[in-house]
Amino acid sequence: MRPILLQGHERSLTQLKFNLEGDLLFSCSKDHIVNAWFSHNGERLGTYDGHNGTVWTLDVDSQSKFLVSGSADNTLRLWSVSTGKCLYTWEFPTAVKRVSFSDDDQQVVCITEQRMGHQGAVRVFQINRDGDGSDQPSKPLHMFNPIGSKATVCAFTYTPNLIVTGHESGKVALFDVTTGDEVLNNERAHMDVVTDMQLSTDKTYFITSSKDKTARLHDTKTLRVLKTFTTETPLNSAALDPFRPYVLLGGGQEAMQVTTTSLRQGKFETRFWHKVFEEEIGRVKGHFGPINTIAVHPGGSSYASGGEDGYVRVHHYDETYSKAKPYGDLVIEN
Amino acid sequence: EDAAEESSISAELVGHRKRLVDEWNTWRARCRQEVAEEQHSRIRLALCREESKEEIE
Repeated sequence: MRPILLQGHERSLTQLKFNLEGDLLFSCSKDHIVNAWFSHNGERLGTYDGHNGTVWTLDVDSQSKFLVSGSADNTLRLWSVSTGKCLYTWEFPTAVKRVSFSDDDQQVVCITEQRMGHQGAVRVFQINRDGDGSDQPSKPLHMFNPIGSKATVCAFTYTPNLIVTGHESGKVALFDVTTGDEVLNNERAHMDVVTDMQLSTDKTYFITSSKDKTARLHDTKTLRVLKTFTTETPLNSAALDPFRPYVLLGGGQEAMQVTTTSLRQGKFETRFWHKVFEEEIGRVKGHFGPINTIAVHPGGSSYASGGEDGYVRVHHYDETYSKAKPYGDLVIEN
Repeated sequence: EDAAEESSISAELVGHRKRLVDEWNTWRARCRQEVAEEQHSRIRLALCREESKEEIE
């Protein structure tokens, strides 16, 4: 498995996303820019230039037509994927930490940060897909301030108007976006900040990673913890393989603490765990700093990791990997 | 003796894994059914709305 190194960012990566076909990979970074790459060879398709601060988050719709990005410059931006043009900018009092499209591409949910004098907020915007996309409603369709611990990650579930959130306290919750009510929560899903959340293809379960050094699988409907993957390092990202029963975890100690510990501790490896057996099955080295974000190709043929070191590494699996049956003939439903 | 012990451990592990997989697959089947039911009821609801709209017209 020879990785392709994508060089185009000058600072830490914050989030990676494949489009639905998997031919494109999108990356955002602390260097203020968003990039699009051809996933098979790592060539850069283009750059989405306009943010004036760290771009914390991005998502792309299922048609690869629109891209949304959220930044520390307090804006949420809508881009044309193919032209690189910024179509619309929404401004807020604080930074945008997480964005996510709904399955039908009609809505975007975003989290803005809690800062002095401003509560953390969740907003849902209706996306006008007519015309060139530059005519968007300036006001959100729904907005609310989640009570208690601030939200760090969010996504739509398979139930309309129901979103799932991860929080600073380690809580995981379901919110009705029309009323702002917390419908259900698991206060003890994690013991520390929830850093990433990725849903299964049918959205019936999801994985979270946390600074508490664990990643967990949760039942979307009940928020029951199904599986726990315990590592020895704070985790920044967790991803699900869409076809194989594996989860991919990435993290590593903060730069400040790294100097005080031995480098050779495998802190910056992508860890592969069996999602049903809760056993670690392998690690992939490469990054020179913590792994901040991991995305798996929707066809399961590769995965990408983005690091604090400013690099994106795309790993295409060997054929032997796809054919291997390390656990015999057990059939595991996805 | 060692070999016998090893094979009993591995038999135990295989059994354990099989149980985990069965439990997982049962849960997945239930999820799939629940999602399908929810989608059906949503479609029914939408159709009902359409019908009542037509009646009003």
